[in-house]
Amino acid sequence: MIKVTNLNKKIGDVNALNGLSFTAQDGKITGLLGPNGAGKTTCLRTVFGLLKADSGNAEIDGIDVAKEPMVAKQKLGLFPDPCGLYERLTPREYITFFAQLSGLNASDAKQATIDVINKLAMNDIADRRCQGFSQGQRMKTALAQAVVHNPSNIILDEPTRGLDVMSTRILRELLLLLKAQGHCVLFSSHVMQEVAALCDHVVIMANGQVIAQGSVAELCEHAGKETLEEAFVALIGSDEGIAA
Amino acid sequence: MINLLTVLFKKEVMDASRDKRSIMAGLYYAIGAPIGVCLLMSVLLQQLASPEALKINIENSDSAPGLIAHLNSRDIFASTDANERKDITLSISDDYQQKMSEGRPATVTLIADKSDDKLRKHINQVEKAIALYSSEIASLRLVSRGVDPSLMRAIVIEVHDQATPDSKGGMILGIVVLTLILALFYAAMNLAIDTSAGERERNSLSLLLSHPLHSLHIVLAKIGAITTFSMLGLMVILVVSKFSYAMVPWQQMGFSITITPAFMLFSIAICLPIALMSASLQVFVSFMAKSFKEAQSYVTMVLFIPMALSMITTYDIATDKVQWLPIAAQQFALMEFIKGNPIPIPQLLLSTVITLVLCVAFSFLSARMLKSEKVVFGL
Repeated sequence: MIKVTNLNKKIGDVNALNGLSFTAQDGKITGLLGPNGAGKTTCLRTVFGLLKADSGNAEIDGIDVAKEPMVAKQKLGLFPDPCGLYERLTPREYITFFAQLSGLNASDAKQATIDVINKLAMNDIADRRCQGFSQGQRMKTALAQAVVHNPSNIILDEPTRGLDVMSTRILRELLLLLKAQGHCVLFSSHVMQEVAALCDHVVIMANGQVIAQGSVAELCEHAGKETLEEAFVALIGSDEGIAA
Repeated sequence: MINLLTVLFKKEVMDASRDKRSIMAGLYYAIGAPIGVCLLMSVLLQQLASPEALKINIENSDSAPGLIAHLNSRDIFASTDANERKDITLSISDDYQQKMSEGRPATVTLIADKSDDKLRKHINQVEKAIALYSSEIASLRLVSRGVDPSLMRAIVIEVHDQATPDSKGGMILGIVVLTLILALFYAAMNLAIDTSAGERERNSLSLLLSHPLHSLHIVLAKIGAITTFSMLGLMVILVVSKFSYAMVPWQQMGFSITITPAFMLFSIAICLPIALMSASLQVFVSFMAKSFKEAQSYVTMVLFIPMALSMITTYDIATDKVQWLPIAAQQFALMEFIKGNPIPIPQLLLSTVITLVLCVAFSFLSARMLKSEKVVFGL
């Protein structure tokens, strides 16, 4: 479970987070939806302890990230944006490396890597260096890195960006599988269809604060609109930053 | 913790070893520098071995055949070709022969520009040759008058040169050792920038920091990997030096520079702390910079400091004080080792301790920087 309470963060002169509070439950997929510059990435980086909030706190399974970063981070898997691949390593080396950093021993990390490579159907690229990978191949590698150590909470920053249909389907299936296994999945996006199709709970944010939250149906009802896209526009009050 | 460090270190080494361009850049220096020094020395030695005949303008040379013969025997010749001769004129007075036969001082006039640095050496050569001729003639005159010529010499200087052949070539030796120390800084410079500023630019640094590990672990693994490549660079340059310096005809200069296996082991031991310090310094500076390009400029600038320290020793400036400083002391110890002199142990120990303290300081500073979001995201 990821719980964010009253987060405030100023970057330069901009109030990137402005009293942000929401909860992402275990066994559910929570979508963080917002236009460009809404503070989605800042929020996720704060949850990861990479940024320090000016006030408020972020908890992973009840552990405060700012107070016990090592324990909290062990319960997290991160799919960052951009992916942060090592161009000169192969996906197998890359995934094993991060599995070991997350606390698996060498042989467990090796086995977990084999499993995740099979699960994501990436055996064809597993032993090629990442240099020159397509966006989909990069996404799969980064995703494998995020879930290899089987963390209870998985955070994905814009995972669907630049993906083709096949890759999007693989991602979707994996997220649903993680949800079924009881993991807490939190992902940020500005793609309505993806969020509408996947999320049990949607948090709409703009200007660093939560505008509305609830299930897709609840949000549509709240805004009095038919689709999530229309509800979103009505709720944030502009059509800025909506990608098809 | 050790386990985590090993995992990080292995990844750094694997990543770096596949960065062919950075490795080659380091190798170019390690192979090129000793070969460059050798070529330079060979050219220098060739010039020393066959000094060119000095050609000058001599006016009224017919009046002084004895002097001319003496000058010729000292490689000084008269020439009428203004292009090939130096701008030095030796004018023999018209009454030269008369004064000589009367046993009185005969005048020769040397006309040249003494402020011309290139000419000064040649002017001295002519002056010395004439002075020698003058004293020979004077001795003969005394003998012919029945006087012992040694009366003219109140003091005789006897010089016992204690220099061993190996201790003579101080400056050249300094350059040779300088190339070794610089290898520690240059061999892994690109790798150091790539693994720090480059890692941040490729966004993998923030991912790394999102994992449950301390920033000091990351920094130490990077320093370890960079040091490994620096030391490999040192070993390459030592091996190349061993073979290339063996081909220089040192004997003509009265000394020799031989890279023995003992010296190689000694340099590896002495240079390891420097390599650690160099790696931590380069990582620190690279993280301070906001981008890869900025890091390249800063690291190059910062490397002037160790280079200056090393050069101060090479050119023997303020040796008494400077020899206690890091790098300068190690360079001095390496030079003394080649010369076969005793190693200055207190200086070496103190500077090694300072070098290691600097390494620890830079490591902690880098680790602290990685906790700053401004540094991690280059804000």
